[in-house]
Amino acid sequence: MAARALQAMYHAAPTTTAPPTLRYGLHRSRAGSYVAASPERPLLMDASLTEAWAYLEWRATEDLLNGPGGVDVFLHAAGAEVAQRLVLIVGDSGAGKSTLVAHLMVRGHRMLGDDLVRFAPQNCRFSAVGRSMKLDVNTLKDMPLIASQCASAAVGTLLAAGCYYVSPAAIRRDWQAQPRKPWAVVLLDAGARDGPAGIARSSDGEAGVYVTQKVLSRERGVEVGAVRTEVVSRLLESLAEVAAYRATGHDPATIAEALEKEALR
Amino acid sequence: MTSVNAIGRPVARADLVLRRVGSEWVLYDAARERAHVLNLTAAVIWTYCDGEHERASIAEAIAREAPGIDAHNIRGDVDDVLRRFADEGLLR
Repeated sequence: MAARALQAMYHAAPTTTAPPTLRYGLHRSRAGSYVAASPERPLLMDASLTEAWAYLEWRATEDLLNGPGGVDVFLHAAGAEVAQRLVLIVGDSGAGKSTLVAHLMVRGHRMLGDDLVRFAPQNCRFSAVGRSMKLDVNTLKDMPLIASQCASAAVGTLLAAGCYYVSPAAIRRDWQAQPRKPWAVVLLDAGARDGPAGIARSSDGEAGVYVTQKVLSRERGVEVGAVRTEVVSRLLESLAEVAAYRATGHDPATIAEALEKEALR
Repeated sequence: MTSVNAIGRPVARADLVLRRVGSEWVLYDAARERAHVLNLTAAVIWTYCDGEHERASIAEAIAREAPGIDAHNIRGDVDDVLRRFADEGLLR
């Protein structure tokens, strides 16, 4: 059982061309519990397998956000490529970004990420971050494909406490959206989602400000004045042709369908 | 609120970044960590805040570029936008 779970965890990391690092470790103690190791942090001892895995995912993401990370910056957002058009999905934690991206993937589209997206200021392109999707158990009720993969412990899926870690590579091999400028920004507001499920046009400028804030609020590597201004300038430049939408209603499947229709117009 | 008569020939702060985002414009103020969303008219007015144009000449310049608009009729709009720029600390 443990071997099977470990195999699933190994494959839960999406395929990537980046060179492997050995910064994180997962070890089984003699007592049968697990130890998770991450750089410059105390060891997580006596953990269950799912606790250790969740800890490592969390630590790796925090390190990515807070580290120097070269010239790229990271956006707390989700994203997908719909009909060769890049869609950024922004909203606070719990607003439904991961669920909407999962629905778009199930409909055959590629993804950028469900919680983290990379932005390269040099060429104003957004690109994918290789990381598992974290899906709440309750959100899988109307996604039978992913639910069945998780239930059968397919390679790339792992059940943790209250949620699934699902590798996008478990859903489709070529899951990564191509780096490009976004066509649309979709705002997911946890409240104020009156009306039938779908999308409605919103203020492009306000969406641009929202995206900018989502970079600056998380990105500690761009605090120096001139560099920060340059990053924001390039970020806004990447959004010059963007159209903003606001999600309405609460049915992510219908919102995904509406977004797909709009992208295909 | 800033008196519009005190503005004279408005000068935009040089450290601000103006970028088009879709159908609107965003003015980013790094020093105050604030971003302002401008409509097209406000963005055009911003580009005339170069210290060379008085309020009246800004209205006239916009009217010249937009046939059918009378300069006198948009003076109030120009004043409102400039007052807002001043209140937000966007002018020198």
